[in-house]
Amino acid sequence: MTKQEVMYKVKSMRRWYVGYQVSAGFLFAAAFTVALGTLLFFLLSCSVTWLWVVLLIAFILYIIYTRPWRINEYSILNFLDRHYPELEESGNLLLKSDDELNLLERLQQTKIREQFAAIPVQQKQFLKPLKQAALILISVALVCFVLIKVVPHDLHQIGFTGLHQSGTKNTPIEKLLPQIAAVEVSMSPPAYTGKPTRTQDKLTIDAEEGAVVSWKISTNIPVKQLALLFNYKERVSLTALNHDRIVWGARKKISQPGFYQVSIDGKLSDLYQVQVIKDQPPVVRIKTPKPYTYIDAGEAQKINIDAAVTDDYGINNALIVATVAKGSGEAVKFKEYKLDFSTSFNGHSPQYNLQKLINLPSLNMEPGDELYFYIQATDTHQQQSRTDVYTVSIQDTAQLLSMDGILTGTDQKPEFFRSERQIILDAEKLLKDKDSISTEKFKSRSNDLGTDQKLLRLRYGKFLGEESENDMGGNENDAVSDINNYGNADVIKDKYTDKHDNAEDADFFDPLLKNQLKATLTEMWKAELQLRLYKPQNALPFAYKALRLLKDLQQKSRLYVAKTAFNPPPLKLEKRLSGDLTKVNQPIIKQNIKPGVDQLVSLRKAVEILEQLKSGGGLSSKDLQVLALTNQQLSLQASAEPRIYLAALSAMRRILSDRSNIKPDDITRVEKAIQKTLTPAKRMPVAMQNPVDMGLSQEYYKNLNQLNR
Amino acid sequence: MNWNITALIICFIVCAIAVWKEVTRTNRARLGLRIVAVIVAVAALAGIALPLTYQVDTTQQNKPEVILLTTGFNPDSLSRYNNSRLFTLDNSIKKRYQQAILLNTIDELTADSSVTQLRVFGDGLDEDQLQQLHYLPVIFHPEVLKQGITAIGWNEQLKAGEELLVQGTFKNSSTNPIKLLLYGLGTALDSVVIKPKSTATFQLKNTPKISGRAVYHLLTITGRDTLGNESLPIQIEAAIPLKVLMLTASPDFESRFLKNWLSANGYAVAARSAISKDKFNNEFINLDQVPLEHLSAQTIGKFDVLVGDLSVLKSLSTQEAAVLKTEVSQKGLGIIVRADSSSGNSWLQHNFPLAVLQGRDTLASVLIIRGRDQHLDKLNPGSFYIRFQQGTQPLIQDEHGHILVSSTLAGNGKLMYTSLSNTFNWMLAGNENDYTALWALLIHRASRKTLVNESWSVSTPVPTVLNPVSLQLQSSGVATSMVGSIMLAPQQSQLLPFEYQYQYWPQKPGWQSVKINNGVLNWWYVYREDEWKSLRILKKQSDTKNYGINSRNTNNVTKQIQKKATISVSKIYAYILLLLACTFLWFEAKASGIKLSSKKRVLNNQKL
Repeated sequence: MTKQEVMYKVKSMRRWYVGYQVSAGFLFAAAFTVALGTLLFFLLSCSVTWLWVVLLIAFILYIIYTRPWRINEYSILNFLDRHYPELEESGNLLLKSDDELNLLERLQQTKIREQFAAIPVQQKQFLKPLKQAALILISVALVCFVLIKVVPHDLHQIGFTGLHQSGTKNTPIEKLLPQIAAVEVSMSPPAYTGKPTRTQDKLTIDAEEGAVVSWKISTNIPVKQLALLFNYKERVSLTALNHDRIVWGARKKISQPGFYQVSIDGKLSDLYQVQVIKDQPPVVRIKTPKPYTYIDAGEAQKINIDAAVTDDYGINNALIVATVAKGSGEAVKFKEYKLDFSTSFNGHSPQYNLQKLINLPSLNMEPGDELYFYIQATDTHQQQSRTDVYTVSIQDTAQLLSMDGILTGTDQKPEFFRSERQIILDAEKLLKDKDSISTEKFKSRSNDLGTDQKLLRLRYGKFLGEESENDMGGNENDAVSDINNYGNADVIKDKYTDKHDNAEDADFFDPLLKNQLKATLTEMWKAELQLRLYKPQNALPFAYKALRLLKDLQQKSRLYVAKTAFNPPPLKLEKRLSGDLTKVNQPIIKQNIKPGVDQLVSLRKAVEILEQLKSGGGLSSKDLQVLALTNQQLSLQASAEPRIYLAALSAMRRILSDRSNIKPDDITRVEKAIQKTLTPAKRMPVAMQNPVDMGLSQEYYKNLNQLNR
Repeated sequence: MNWNITALIICFIVCAIAVWKEVTRTNRARLGLRIVAVIVAVAALAGIALPLTYQVDTTQQNKPEVILLTTGFNPDSLSRYNNSRLFTLDNSIKKRYQQAILLNTIDELTADSSVTQLRVFGDGLDEDQLQQLHYLPVIFHPEVLKQGITAIGWNEQLKAGEELLVQGTFKNSSTNPIKLLLYGLGTALDSVVIKPKSTATFQLKNTPKISGRAVYHLLTITGRDTLGNESLPIQIEAAIPLKVLMLTASPDFESRFLKNWLSANGYAVAARSAISKDKFNNEFINLDQVPLEHLSAQTIGKFDVLVGDLSVLKSLSTQEAAVLKTEVSQKGLGIIVRADSSSGNSWLQHNFPLAVLQGRDTLASVLIIRGRDQHLDKLNPGSFYIRFQQGTQPLIQDEHGHILVSSTLAGNGKLMYTSLSNTFNWMLAGNENDYTALWALLIHRASRKTLVNESWSVSTPVPTVLNPVSLQLQSSGVATSMVGSIMLAPQQSQLLPFEYQYQYWPQKPGWQSVKINNGVLNWWYVYREDEWKSLRILKKQSDTKNYGINSRNTNNVTKQIQKKATISVSKIYAYILLLLACTFLWFEAKASGIKLSSKKRVLNNQKL
């Protein structure tokens, strides 16, 4: 083997190696691309065309990573040295020129050359990466194939395009009139949807509410007249767009669902459905706070409103409408605020996540106040929707600190509170009359008022268990000092013990009430003093104060007054129903009530006739009438809900138009629609039937009766 | 053979070892018996392991069997009758099974005098063919039905609003669940699933919304395959309004709502309610005025149902009461008595003793219609309930089982007793359905039965094309009848003079009409050839079986020949022998052990 041959062989080995590496890289890249493509197809339903780019990039990356061009002839020979012991680690000698070698090396070179000739050009190890790559590609392809087969294709539609799922899949094949060559229907959705105009070559319309639909129908022969007939009623004429009268056009705003037909020179086509996609009002969902939030004393007085607003087309605006309620009872005051979210709604995107932190004191809220708020959202179609009212209340600390409920078990109060007012009025009158009356009279009247004030004080003093005027001096008829009672322990006990169980003596009032009453008495004392000093002017402030305290006492508690029962006088039973009624006429009411006409009676009957048609029976004129009525009912239903009933209506039309050639499918379709339309029948009582037995059972009963006797 | 020898050798070795063990035992009591027992036990073991047979002389007929193959027969079942003569009536069997001789009619068999007994394989013959056999003895080998509906029943004649109830049994021998689907008007109405490898009853329900005749279908579905599609013809008639008489002690809501409900649905109502002493408020809705002050037979005779308060009915004059009683017991009027607390023992109430509801029972409770799987909305049951008595039929009860409405027969008529007095609450609450369900049931059960002149029924279970169908007419007068345009002649029943039989061979499937000369049209249904197959097979089998049992009595003695037959011995004998031998050995070991130990104890005592 010459040196050139060796050189050539080593080079070809390198070529093989590099070739295998590159093809392995290609296979790796392909496996990666398949995996990525399947994944994207499922998750995002992307198209597959641009995957070529991915393939190329992956391939280049792999090549850069492995760098197969770096392998030179020496690397190949090193590899051979390691795998072929017969080369005796001297492969490198093979490529060296003779003058570089010493004798020993030259000898070795000649020896190795012969050995080298026996080594095959194709090395098994070179194939290894290629095999691996092929294996990976096959397994990846298998897995992806299984995934595509097993997992339903419209998986992505559920998650990503649920809103925009159009009825294109379920629409039946349309039958066009033979004159029609082409149809172009373009729909311009209204501005609020933010959708562009779209064009289709089908007559079935699936448009947003308020969309403008324009038809462009080309015929293959010139026609005189072309019109669209909506719901059998409304007629829209098309105008010829060119002189040949071949291309026709019309526009119409769609706001009602239903169906329509194309009429060419009076000939009507099949029915095409018109679906209207209604705009849904925006949906607002408040995540926080809870419907009722209570902020305790000491907690931060702020709430964080977190809400999500969604709409099918776009949100125009959303704001918080908050009302603050201050005070309680009849003194409650409301103040309304409108708070914006800091988010900008210029984008009109269909979904927003909104946050707002409300600092309650900034709304002038104090303890005891309540905040009511709701979120109102407006969509691009100016439809509004709002949430329920949420409540936030701050705990009232003033009420918390009051000891009212704790101290007063029951509130009771003295009977009369009137005369203090009288004393004030009299004192004022006295002051008025001061100039016109004599000094004596003035003094005596002032003194009298003082006496009145005293009496009043004594009366209130009784409630407090104060001693009365009588008790002040020595008591003549003191039972204890009576000689007759000497040694009578009961009398002494009676005088010097507290009688708790005596209802008259027991304390009516709780301490607070007593204190207030005592304060009242003090004021009365002072007023009396001034009156006795003939200074009614100075007495008035004390009297007013006493009155105010009395009023307070009055307000502290309210009396519950029980209802009194009414006791009717007893009935005299012998008089009952004994009146003379001979002149009273007996009322006789006669009326005829016709049961309400069942609107669906023709539909109920229609099934029998359809069954008859199915088995090939003929129809009477009455049957035809019922079928015509059924057709009418179905067209009513179809104009309301074309998606469900239009197929049945078309089937019904086919049945009515060509009775000699009825398809069972059409009948089934109509029957299905009838079943859907009908309301459940009411079950009314009916009589059972006697058996037709020439009175045999009657005889039996009679004989049985005689036996029993 | 190999197995037999191996088993024998093993048994022999076991026997030898066991015998040797017995012999070498120290206690040599009952050695002979023990050895016998061991040998018997091993022999019994061998008997269990090896098939034992013996030969006996058997008798057999001297000529080959005559076998008739009918549809559904299993070729494997013929293996025992190799040299027999095979006949068939079916062309497809002939094609499949070339040995069989094709007969045109069954007469050809009976004409052959050499045929003295017939073996029938498969599904058997139908009634008509069996008749043609002229009492030729038949041994029937039925083929077990694999899968299908084995029984079915449904209410073919419905009133408007009545529920269609399909009940039956289904045998599912496949390993997949089978779904039965009630299908009507292009809609699946109800379904039930039969578990694999089971025979189950099923029930399907639907209230048809239509009127007139319709054909619903019962589909048998497994996975995506439809195994069967059977027709369920139904006829729905409109309800004919009844005439109701209402007598109330005072104007009250209950009767007012009942009156309004009835009249709004076109029913005729006459109502009399006392407003003062001897003063009544009379109302006639959808009805001509009739005197209601005094009830005469003529007046009452116009009504189908009487709804009355107990106190009113009890305070009727003796003459009126007698008239009412006659009307009920003789003429079949129905009375719905609305109970009140008035005591007494009149014929109206003695079947329905009242008891007082107490405690929580007086609270509102769900009402249950007896015998129907229907629960009505909650209602306050009032303060009384009806105690059950023999001879009455409870109709409504509350959830604690207290009877609230009960009924009984009163001669020809019906007597119904209700302690409910506030069903109008349902109407006030807008629950018309429950109100309708309750009162429709009560009035339906109580009302006077209508008189009809004729009643048709089809006595053939599954009428099919080109098979005889027998139609039965119950009528007071005899007449020729027409099916379509074909005249039929009647055959009067010998025992019941009002029953007539007609026979008809339908030409095409579907609805067929039948009527007496000047009567009303009645409809019946003829099924397609492929419907209700399993039912028809079962019918054929049972007919043939019955025929076979009846014909066996006339089985004549034929000449017999002797033949050896191999009969295998039942293994149970071997098991019994083994058990006995082992029991003896066990007992013997125990007994000798006890003896030994007691001996030892004696010895020990002596030592001490």
